[in-house]
Amino acid sequence: MRSFSDYHPIVIAVWFFSVTGVAMFCNYPPLMAIALCGGVAFFAMKNGASHGRTHLYFWLLFLVLALINPLISHNGRTVLFVIDNSPITLEALLYGLNSAAMIVGVLYFFRSFTQIMTSEKLLCITGALSPKLSLVLSMALRSVPMFSKHWRKIADSQKAMGLFCEDNIIDDIRGRMRIFSILITWALENGIVTADSMAARGYGTGKRTQMRRVAFFAADWIFLLLTAALVSLCAAAVGTGCLSFEFYPEISASSLGALGIAGICAYAALVMLPIINEMGVKLKWRYLMSEI
Amino acid sequence: MVLIRSRTARSVIKVAVPFLILPVLTIAGALIFDQKKHIIISLSVAVFALLLFAAGFEKRSTGTRRMVIVAVMTALCFAGRFIPFLKPIMALTIISALYLGGEAGFLVGALAAVLSNFYFGQGPWTAFQMLAWGFSGLFAGFFAEHLKKSKALLLIYGALSGILYSWIMDIWTVLWYNEGFSLKFYLSTLTTAIPYTLSYMVSNVLFLLLLSKPIGDKLGRIKIKYGV
Repeated sequence: MRSFSDYHPIVIAVWFFSVTGVAMFCNYPPLMAIALCGGVAFFAMKNGASHGRTHLYFWLLFLVLALINPLISHNGRTVLFVIDNSPITLEALLYGLNSAAMIVGVLYFFRSFTQIMTSEKLLCITGALSPKLSLVLSMALRSVPMFSKHWRKIADSQKAMGLFCEDNIIDDIRGRMRIFSILITWALENGIVTADSMAARGYGTGKRTQMRRVAFFAADWIFLLLTAALVSLCAAAVGTGCLSFEFYPEISASSLGALGIAGICAYAALVMLPIINEMGVKLKWRYLMSEI
Repeated sequence: MVLIRSRTARSVIKVAVPFLILPVLTIAGALIFDQKKHIIISLSVAVFALLLFAAGFEKRSTGTRRMVIVAVMTALCFAGRFIPFLKPIMALTIISALYLGGEAGFLVGALAAVLSNFYFGQGPWTAFQMLAWGFSGLFAGFFAEHLKKSKALLLIYGALSGILYSWIMDIWTVLWYNEGFSLKFYLSTLTTAIPYTLSYMVSNVLFLLLLSKPIGDKLGRIKIKYGV
């Protein structure tokens, strides 16, 4: 049993895209509530109580998104009150809340996705799709810290030669422009040297390998199949119209039926999968520790 | 993998797939699904276009030197995104397209988007950003001759692509929020996004004005010196 972030990158990506895809594809309010709660729970599970500013920003955004719809859209039958001759309707307010829950939920999921899906994992996926693109990506990634290191080197030598001082603004800007120009010349030349060196070592002549070995274990298959099964159940429920919901002109929901309920349960289970997995891992760890 | 023998058939497919299938996919999606699903259609069209481009790039034999230069320009764009308020990504994409060709420009824009979003936050919008920045490079590559000759034209192109980028991303915002395109929403997002639109425009013009000559000279020099 492994932590969710240690699963195969493709499994992680498929899970994220299924969860957010269903949330974006459907507008059924209970599903949006599940997505929002799941997104917050997943983010909190990864980060604990930290990242207060992210939470603050997201909930402010939630407020703005929820309130902007009734101010712009005046569809709907139930008028709550009138501002400046424009009616504020209950339907538009609920629609705004629903959309805001979806967007903020998806944003939470993608914030966690950015944390889990490191660039190395992305390279693993793009490497399977296109080794060449993956190479360009990984070289660009490596270049960024290399550039900043080289920037400091150039700046130090320029200063040591007395070519610019930092307390004079105009001198400072001109010095920085010069450093930037030197840096670009160096970066391009260095790139050519790298390319020649790669060619000399036989780049492109054999099969490409990866730095880190990633294997598909049985647990990866189980997680992937579970995700696929739950998503197809959800998709069946959404596709047959069991989970359709209309806000305008009046709020009306289709009758749920067994398939609708199954779809909602499947989505909840899908959102909970990594959380359940993480709890299992923690329990096992506790158990192993207690044996010592 | 099926190999198509006839040369003409291959070139027909090469043109037909991006220029026919994408619009057909868009229109069919718009007709078959109701308007709530527009967001998924637009997302899948964006991802499909990117995949097509990746497949084309993978097939063609690109010189190692060219690839490394693309990587260097991507890294420069990525580093440039950390500058507050003014973003040189599009200007750098356009400059690389002018000297390295449209395909390289597309790559620089698209890869800079996906890489820098590891710091600025990935999301469904990544695909749109990749496409928008990529296209600003691709078209700059098409018009490279004219744009290189006249600086005024280049600056106008930069300003226009800044505005278009902002407007395209706003279409996405509306589709995401509203499940179906609504003109009223779109206009209101456009007005709230005016500061951003202006900042894209100003930074494109500013960086093209400042960087197109020095970086262009350097790229031109590398091209002559090493025959990229």
